[in-house]
Amino acid sequence: MAATEETDSRWRPVVDLMAGAPPVELGVMHSYHARKTPRRLLYTTSYYKFAAKLIAANTPPARKGAARVLDVGCGEGIGTYLVAKECGSARGVDFDVDLIETARRNWVERGADAGEPICAFEAKDFLAEPRADFDAVINFDVIEHIQPDNAAGFIGGMAANLRPGGIAVVGTPNVTSAVYASAVTNAGHVNLYDADRLHNEMAARFRRVLMFGANDEVVHTGFAPMCHYLIAVGVGPKKD
Amino acid sequence: MDDVTTKTNPTADGDNASRARKTGSEAEVWDGVRELIGDERIELGHHWSFNLRNDPKRFPFVLSRYKFAAKMAAPSTGPRRSVLELGCSEGLGTMVLAESASRYHGVDLDADAVATAARNWATPTRTFETCDFLNDERGEAKVFGTFDGVVSLDVIEHIAPDAEPKYWRAVTGNLADDGVAVIGTPNQTSEAYASPMSKAGHINLFTFERMHATLHGHFENVLLFGLNDEMVHTGFAPMCHYVMGVGIGPKRPGN
Repeated sequence: MAATEETDSRWRPVVDLMAGAPPVELGVMHSYHARKTPRRLLYTTSYYKFAAKLIAANTPPARKGAARVLDVGCGEGIGTYLVAKECGSARGVDFDVDLIETARRNWVERGADAGEPICAFEAKDFLAEPRADFDAVINFDVIEHIQPDNAAGFIGGMAANLRPGGIAVVGTPNVTSAVYASAVTNAGHVNLYDADRLHNEMAARFRRVLMFGANDEVVHTGFAPMCHYLIAVGVGPKKD
Repeated sequence: MDDVTTKTNPTADGDNASRARKTGSEAEVWDGVRELIGDERIELGHHWSFNLRNDPKRFPFVLSRYKFAAKMAAPSTGPRRSVLELGCSEGLGTMVLAESASRYHGVDLDADAVATAARNWATPTRTFETCDFLNDERGEAKVFGTFDGVVSLDVIEHIAPDAEPKYWRAVTGNLADDGVAVIGTPNQTSEAYASPMSKAGHINLFTFERMHATLHGHFENVLLFGLNDEMVHTGFAPMCHYVMGVGIGPKRPGN
């Protein structure tokens, strides 16, 4: 009995603390994932975590926790928020107005953090007004939806939004995994990459490109054709 | 010259294997495999023979660090790159670092170890040199050339803190402007669990924070990874057994 009271008295403050957090709502995309393929939520947030750690490492100690990140094709913004939490702040852009509204509700309006929100979201084309001052530009599951003729412009847009020495992190399914993808997934994929092409197209706009792969949530440097997912890190935009 | 053990592309081996016979007795099929394998026998040196006998699980840890370093500094994707290894010892990492590199040069203070490395791994594009890379004839950090990558694993923890500036000059002084340096060393937080033999040699240990600050002093871009056993990841820094710092684009004096 005493043990139960002890447990309860220790657990109560935790419950009270959690009760203060504004609820997070999954939007149409993540709700679909949650019902049909919940592991995708794990994979996606794992890629964002990987990006966040690299961005934090690339931020000089004097600017620790003050990195500014642009997340292109941010969807519902859960990854945008993750990166902002780890790195400083993040701006998410997506052309889907409904997803952006969900992102804004969850991570700006109902922001759990007191004070200034660490995220901002906009429904817009990020290429329209490159600001050239972000520490990092990231995009996951975007470039495979860009028509091949526009891919060079898309990659150029990442470089144009970066400060000198900034990094870009690009994630996309490996073309070698397309045979296993669902019809829904394949329907939107107009520009699937293998590791060589992703490396080479990124290398046209970045000083160095480091290639990683992922299988499920594990990011690694294994044999490229067997990676389910590719992550390219473009380091230092080349000047035009 | 290039034997089957140095082939990087499994499909190349696959092509050879597909020409081998697959019918007949198991022994006959195996004979075909043996013909593809060849009959080279590599004898490891004292250092790695000792490690394998005493603590064989170090083998995958160390090879994994080298594999990661190779993927960063001299990957198979993109143009072939040259790589310098500072502290190559017996050249265990050479086979991994040189696999996709256009050129590899390994240097170490230990003449016996370098002789073993050269015996086992030297080719016209994989070379070795016994020398103190901290001191050229003028007492300055030695320059071996301009390399696309510089890899130095399990070295910096043995460098006296007052010699460390020279160590970094050796790393950056041998790197191309867009070069990638990979520096690996045990996390200071793991020291409590290190063997007495390891501890005795560790005079300059790094935390992630210190590696982060130090690399930013020498490189335009910095990425940090951690290892536990052979697993490379980006998890919570103090719980990583090993620190893997990646510096890209050396800062030049006056820049």
